[in-house]
Amino acid sequence: MIDYRSLSSLTIAAHELKSPLALLRQLALSLETGDLLEVERREVARHMKLVSERALRLTTDLTKVQRLEDGLFELEPINPQQLCEEVVWELSPLYKACGRELVLAPRQRPLLAIANKDLLRRILLNFADNALYYADETSPVELSVSSRAQGETIRLGIRDYGPALSIDTWRSLHDTALRPEQLYARPGGSGLGLVIACQFAQAMNGSVGATRHRDGATFHVDIHASRQMSLL
Amino acid sequence: MNIVVVEDDVLLGHHFERTLKKAGYNVASSPHALGAIRLIDETKPAVIVLDMLLTGSTAMPLLHELQSHDDLARIPVVMVTSMAADLSLETLKPYGVRYVLDKTTMHPDDLVAAIRSVSL
Repeated sequence: MIDYRSLSSLTIAAHELKSPLALLRQLALSLETGDLLEVERREVARHMKLVSERALRLTTDLTKVQRLEDGLFELEPINPQQLCEEVVWELSPLYKACGRELVLAPRQRPLLAIANKDLLRRILLNFADNALYYADETSPVELSVSSRAQGETIRLGIRDYGPALSIDTWRSLHDTALRPEQLYARPGGSGLGLVIACQFAQAMNGSVGATRHRDGATFHVDIHASRQMSLL
Repeated sequence: MNIVVVEDDVLLGHHFERTLKKAGYNVASSPHALGAIRLIDETKPAVIVLDMLLTGSTAMPLLHELQSHDDLARIPVVMVTSMAADLSLETLKPYGVRYVLDKTTMHPDDLVAAIRSVSL
């Protein structure tokens, strides 16, 4: 096993990008052989597009992590339910290609959060991308928005249903990915995306967390609620 | 001939499945070890194609499980991994691994060739 704690962030990023690049190469080679049916060629091309977009999301996130120090990310009131709708729309083709489904829990009353829309969107994309690895085919991954702490905080959660992680893996993930002092470390087999999400949340004065269930996990981000709604 | 593919990247799993089906094999896939055990019991595969880093664990618990049953221990395993440079076939042989393919350099035909060579 690779000990990620001893690697630099650059090496971790390189290792993380190896998987999508290797898959792109495999798909390109299968196109090159020319023995695919037209319908298969279209599917391979579609998969290549989805894998490229997934890799590009990671490279964009890494660029943004570097820019966090500049403090150029403004916070503004946003509608988290609407943002979740956009994330579901953006990732649905990838989920569909993998035989999975991403849904948004309906909500009657709108909430307003104070956040940077782009950073929050990227956190949700990271969580949803990670859930794709863990989700069972039989149950959709569910995004939800809820109010916490007497309306002071808004929680956006992504619940997946799949095989429960072992306690050891869970502890490793929780201790390493979610502890701010070890942001550039990660346990083997988990996503660099979770570590990036933690940094993005902190840049918005928020936090990320996770809950292990018997049949899956929920990853969430907590951000401050906007008080504008109380003025209405 | 039945093959079980254990690969946590669903799209790569699809690719392996398509490649092997074109070569005439019956293929069943699982993204995790738990599902793989069920498929192995159901289909009694001639070969198992296995990724090293799986969702939430490595392939080692699955390899240990296979080695603990006489009938399953005889099924040859082809390991397909992007960590091939860090792995030694000699070290993995006691766990039933008969071939290691590097995801970053392999050709789709290499998977078929590896399966043919271990199932002879």
